[in-house]
Formats: sequence, C-alpha cells, structure tokens
Amino acid sequence: MAQPPVSSESQEQRVAEFVNAYQSLRAEVGKIIVGHSEVVTQVLIGLFAGGHVLLEGVPGLGKTLLIKTLAESLELSFSRIQFTPDLMPGDIIGTNIIVEDAQGRKHFQFQRGPIFGHILLADEVNRATPKTQSALLEGMQEGAVTVSGSAHPLPSPFFVLATQNPIEMEGTYPLPEAQLDRFLFKVRVRYPALEELTEIIDRTTHVRAVEVRRVLTGPQVLSMRELVREIPIATHVRDLASFIVLGTHPQWERAPESARRYIRYGASPRGAQALVLGAKVRALADGRFNVSVDDLRAMALPALRHRLILNFEGEAAGVDVDDLVGQIVEAAEAMSGTGKEVFLR
Amino acid sequence: MPGPTVIERLVADVARQIRLRRAEFYGLRGLFWGAVAAVLPLLFKEPLGPWSYAGAGLFLLAGAAAGAGYGLLLRLPAAEAARLADRGYGLQERISTALEWAERPDRTPIVDALVADATTRAGQLGARRIIPRRVPREARLVPVPLLLGLVLAAAPPIPLPQARLPNFSVSRDEDEEKAAVDRSGEAQQAERKQATRRDQVQRTDVQERNLSPRLGGGGQSQPGDLAAVFKDTSLGGRAPDFNSFLKKGDERLRMLDSLERLPDLQSDFTQSQARMVFQKAKALRGGLDPNKKVSPEKLRELLGEMERLGRKNGGQGQGNWSGDAYEGMEALEGGQTDKAMEAMERALNKMRSMEERGRDGKGLKGGRESERRGGKRGDKGSGQPGGPGDEGDFPEGEGLLPGRGKSGAPKGDATARLRGSPFDVGVEGEARAGRKQGIDTNMVGRGAQMPSRLQYMGVLGQYRKMMEESIAREQVPRDFQSQVKEYFQSLDEK
Repeated sequence: MAQPPVSSESQEQRVAEFVNAYQSLRAEVGKIIVGHSEVVTQVLIGLFAGGHVLLEGVPGLGKTLLIKTLAESLELSFSRIQFTPDLMPGDIIGTNIIVEDAQGRKHFQFQRGPIFGHILLADEVNRATPKTQSALLEGMQEGAVTVSGSAHPLPSPFFVLATQNPIEMEGTYPLPEAQLDRFLFKVRVRYPALEELTEIIDRTTHVRAVEVRRVLTGPQVLSMRELVREIPIATHVRDLASFIVLGTHPQWERAPESARRYIRYGASPRGAQALVLGAKVRALADGRFNVSVDDLRAMALPALRHRLILNFEGEAAGVDVDDLVGQIVEAAEAMSGTGKEVFLR
Repeated sequence: MPGPTVIERLVADVARQIRLRRAEFYGLRGLFWGAVAAVLPLLFKEPLGPWSYAGAGLFLLAGAAAGAGYGLLLRLPAAEAARLADRGYGLQERISTALEWAERPDRTPIVDALVADATTRAGQLGARRIIPRRVPREARLVPVPLLLGLVLAAAPPIPLPQARLPNFSVSRDEDEEKAAVDRSGEAQQAERKQATRRDQVQRTDVQERNLSPRLGGGGQSQPGDLAAVFKDTSLGGRAPDFNSFLKKGDERLRMLDSLERLPDLQSDFTQSQARMVFQKAKALRGGLDPNKKVSPEKLRELLGEMERLGRKNGGQGQGNWSGDAYEGMEALEGGQTDKAMEAMERALNKMRSMEERGRDGKGLKGGRESERRGGKRGDKGSGQPGGPGDEGDFPEGEGLLPGRGKSGAPKGDATARLRGSPFDVGVEGEARAGRKQGIDTNMVGRGAQMPSRLQYMGVLGQYRKMMEESIAREQVPRDFQSQVKEYFQSLDEK
C-alpha cells in the first residue's frame, strides 16, 4: 500500500506519486472491468477532482461492478443504496430513534443512514421519488446532512457514484436539473466491443479468483485533490474554457448557430469548474504540470453533456448532446484563436 | 533562474520565424499591388520616356518592400509566439504556461516543476521551422500585372489622345459644320437601327403587347386629341397617297368627319382592367434588363395582381386569365419558375386576345362605340356570345351547359362563375373568435357535393395560404414546418 505523500518531497515526486497511484488504481479496476477505458478514466478523474459522477447506461454493462471494484481498490467505507419508488429520505440520511440509556432514561439518538460512507453507490437513482433524490442534494454539495436542526458532517472524502438507465423510463423520476448540476461528470457507458465482450465471457465464466488490492487511502485521495488545485493553467487555455461554457448559452451573441437553435439553457459556472478541474486531473495523470487545450477538449463532454437543456426543437429533432458539445468546443477554439493560424494577425 | 532563458530563447526563435513568414506573406501581397501600380507608368511610356521603366521598377520594389516591412513590424506578443511554439513542437501548452506563470506572484510550488520541465523539453528540441508558409490569394495573381507590364514595356508607346485648340478660321468652321452634319446623320441612322433591334428583343422576351399610349411625334395623346387617330391606326405608318386623296379623299380626312367613331383614348388606357394589369406588368418589369428573367418576387407580385384582377373581373370564359395566373403562382411556390413564366404568358395572351376582342380587331371600332354596345348587353360588356353579358338571356340552369342552351352559338365549357354551374364549388371562410385566431371554412356552391378539379386547386391554394400564416404565427419546429410544406407539395404533384 502506498504511503501518504510527505510535504518536503519535491513537486516532481508528488506528481510522480500521483501518476503511480492513478495507474495502480486503474490497474486494480482493470482486473475486474474489461474495456470501458474512457469510463474508468473519467470516474477516476471525478474522484480526484472531488466531484460526484453519474453513470448512464443500459443494464448489464458493468456500471455497478465498476463502482464496487473502485470502492474495493480504495481503503474507504462503501455504501450502496438501491433506489426504489418507495425509498424515503430517512432511508438515505438516517433518522432519530428513541434509545434508552443505562439509567433507563429515553432520548433521541441519530441513527446514521447509508449516506454516511466515503463512497456511495446510488444505484438506479432515477427510480426514487424527487423527494428522496433531493435528500442527496445537501450531502453532495455541502458534505453534510441536517436532521432535526442539527448538521451531521459526512466523512471525507465523500464520493457519490450514481447510475441510471436511459431507456427504461416508465416508473422513473428523471433527475431535476438542479441535482444533475451537482454531478461533476455524467459518463455514458457504451456497449463493449467484440474483443471486450469475448474477454468478459472468458473472465466471468471460468473459475478465476481475482483479488483486488487496496492501493489508496482517504488521506492520500485528499492530498491528491489538493495537488490538483495547484496545477497552473495558462490564460488562453482558461479563456477557452470560458468560451466553451459561454458557447452553450443560446443568448450569448457569439454562441454557435447550433447552440442558438437547439439549446434552451446552457451550462452553469459549475460546468466551467468541472471542465477546468477535470482538465487539471487529466494533466496530472499524464504527468504534466500544466493544463493543455487537449485536456479541456477531452473533459468537455463529461463535464457539459448533462448541463445542457435542449429546447423543444432540439428534442424533436433528436439532437445528440455530445455532437452539440463537440460543435461548441470547435467554435470556442476558433473564437479563442487556439484552433487556427494566428501568426498573421 | 536559467530556465526561462532557454524558454525565452525558444520563444525568440519562434518569433523570428513568425516575423519571417509574415514578411513573406505581406511582401507577396505588396508585390502584387506594386505590380498593379507598375503598369501605370508603362501606360504613359510615351510622355515619360525611359522614366516609365524606372517608375515601374520602383513601384514593384516599393510594394514588395512595404509589404515585407509591414509584416516584420507587425506586433507580436511573446505569449502568442509561445503558444505557437507549443503547438508547433507539440508541447501541450508547457512553454506558454511556464512563461506566463514564472513571473506571477501567486505562483504555486508546482510552477517551479513546470518551468524545469518546460526548460528540459525546450533544450531537447532541435532547431526546425515550425511555422508553415502561408501564401496570400494575391500571390496567385502576381503574374497577371507582371505579364501586362512586360507586354507594355515591349510594345510601342500607346499614343495618348491629343487635345486640339479650336480653329477660328472661317473655312475650317464650314468644314467642321459639314462634318458634324454627316456625323449626326450617321448617329441618327445608327440609333434607328439600334431602336429596331431593341424592339425586336422586347417582342421575343414575353411577347407582351405595349398597351401604353403610343408615342408619336407629338408625345402622349390627350382626350379629344385628333392627332391620336393617326397614331393608333394601321394607317398611321402609311405614307399619304396623294393619288387616292385626289380621287376620293384621304381616308383619314373622312374619319375626322365621323367623330362618334373616334376611340376614347382615355377610357382605353385607364378604365380597362386588362390594360391596368398590363400597365402594372410593365411597371413591375420596367426596371429589369429585358434580357434577364423576371425575379421570382416580381413574378409573384405580378401573378398575384393578375390573379386578383382576374377574379375581380369575375371570369370571362376563354378570356379568364385568373386560372392561369393562379397556376403560375402555384408553380412559383413549387420553385418552377419556367412553368410560372409559361402560365403568365398564357394569361397575358388571354388578356391580349380579350383586348383584341374589345377593339373588335379593327382598331378604331373599339372605344366609345364598343363600350356603348357592351353597355347594352351587360355591365361587363365583353361582347362575347355566351359570356356574362348574355346572362339574362337564359333561365337558371339553361344555356350554360352544352346541349341545354337556347343559343345557336357554339357551346363551350361551363363558365367559371361560382354557383353558375352544378360543377362549381367554392370556399368561404370567416374569422373565428377565441383564444387563437382561426378561420372556419365552408364549401359553397351547387357543386359542393360533386367532384371538381379546378376548384380543388383553388381550395388547396386557400388552405396553403392559411397553413403558411399559421406556421408564421405559431412556434413550430423547422422540421415540422418542412413536413407540412412537403405534404402540400405532394398534393400539388397529384
């Protein structure tokens, strides 16, 4: 097991440790999860950026298994909540129960719910009622929950990984925009390729004992989260992030035509934060000390796809949000001068 | 710190490359404009003499030098050079970030690592050109003025037009006067030929008949202007036959005696709706080049006006151009401009034939006399048998269908008057009150229960118009709009 980083170590060493931890975590997850390289990368980036991740995909693609494996690779507590329509907020947060002390006096005692874990798997989060879904809100944003007027801090690091099925919509309650915005990334889990499917069959139908090692502790994760925020970003790269986020707003006069036509509401400033933080983690994982344009380009999709609300025309035309984000990024690069020959100016 | 020195050297090297490329780019641009300017002194080779060559060369060099100088002196911030260095060497913004953050007061400890990393990578880079050459569009055109200049340089000097002082001698005055008379005669002849040619072009275009008051020697005719007789008859262009005049008097003089036969020119050109349409058509097409096609907007306006006037006219059997105009509008909506033009020509032909009938094909027999005759038959007075003017001659349901009429005149198709025929169907609509605007439509006419073709087109047109108004009023997605339009398009094709 890796040791927590020592503050006197050089910056290069800190970055090297980060890269090592990141790679070992990937390797541990890779023992169980076949393929889904991009999904694993984005989930790990979400973990180190300090955000929460929503995984969307049809049943059977290994979403829950991925999260469970990740939790096993970290020396952190893990809770799982299977969201159902009859789930109540108290079932998540916890509730006050009457207990009797040694003297026979009765008093209320807060019984912690499953939200009090480092890693929380909210499985099929869109099956619970909005009331129950909103019980997650405070915990996700503030890192604390309030019951009967008293706040109870959640353990740190606190990392929510939620899953939802995009197809089976009957009997579901789609997450409200406010709650979607609290997820740093929305990751789409695609169907595996042929080679990956073959590998999945081999791994899961043979007798094969696979042991996942715990490679990171909570303090290490927190230390790495601090390191992420130290990564510098050049002005023109930061401006590109702003252009991308503003480009999702149809009201902005320089927004691309597709955004004006199909988007009702664009990304909030949280989207810009997610974009830059994700880019910083990606740069660090690549062993770099700075954010590049490629990092922003790679993070635009998971950071923005759930923050764009299409208008009626977009919905009716079946516009793919991913395509839309791609067009916005291209337009933003052209605007900021990073995507064309500028030496003649 | 030694680090930034290496980075700065790299940035300076890239900046040098950028300036060189800029000098090339703007130098080529300047060369082009210099070459264009160099043609000028070569044009004036005769007065300038050998100086023209020197001037041309000077312009050429000055253009190129000015362009290159501009490119070299153009502002180039170090950050921009650093960005291009990053891109050119694939350094993923290391150089630009290091350069920017090295001087910042809020630098984090990791910036030192970044600068060291950027320095190491910059030191490992071999010197190579990373800024691609850009050739301006003008560079492709440089050979044109250059070749022109060479041709002008090789060719003999172009004689310039000589200004002459006026000759005050009397004999020269006479000569010049004679020459001027000759010249004006030639010019007049040429003008006449040209006018004839222009007239022919106009006739072949839409074959419209010019119904505006004809201009003779005296300009536009006024009511009661007897001279108009000579302008508006087939005799107008004929030379006077003095022999016949001596024998039986000139026919024109005889006509002057019978004033009641004179046409009312004012009525001719202001009261006939067909002529009004013609005049509007001319006004619409007036500003266009006769060799060019009418623009779709003008054509639509024209057809709309024709259709409206045709409907207002109430349909006059074969002279009813409303249907053709409507077909033209339909074709125009479907983007078939040629069909629309054909329909318009058909409508114009019908108007023309109606006009001919109005004049009884004899020129002078139109006018007041014709109008009086028409007034006896009916208000609309086309003088056509079986037309609306004969409406009172038959009881309802008779006379308008083949084989049922009492008239001995040849039986034609049923007229297009609404409710006049059992085949007629029309649509009337009234605005519906409520939250949303709408129109309640109702089929009327005796033939409402019977199948029809022409009226179907009319109904379709009305529905199409209502559809377009609704689409413009409501917020409907574009794809849905196009689906609705395609549906109407498919109805058209049926």
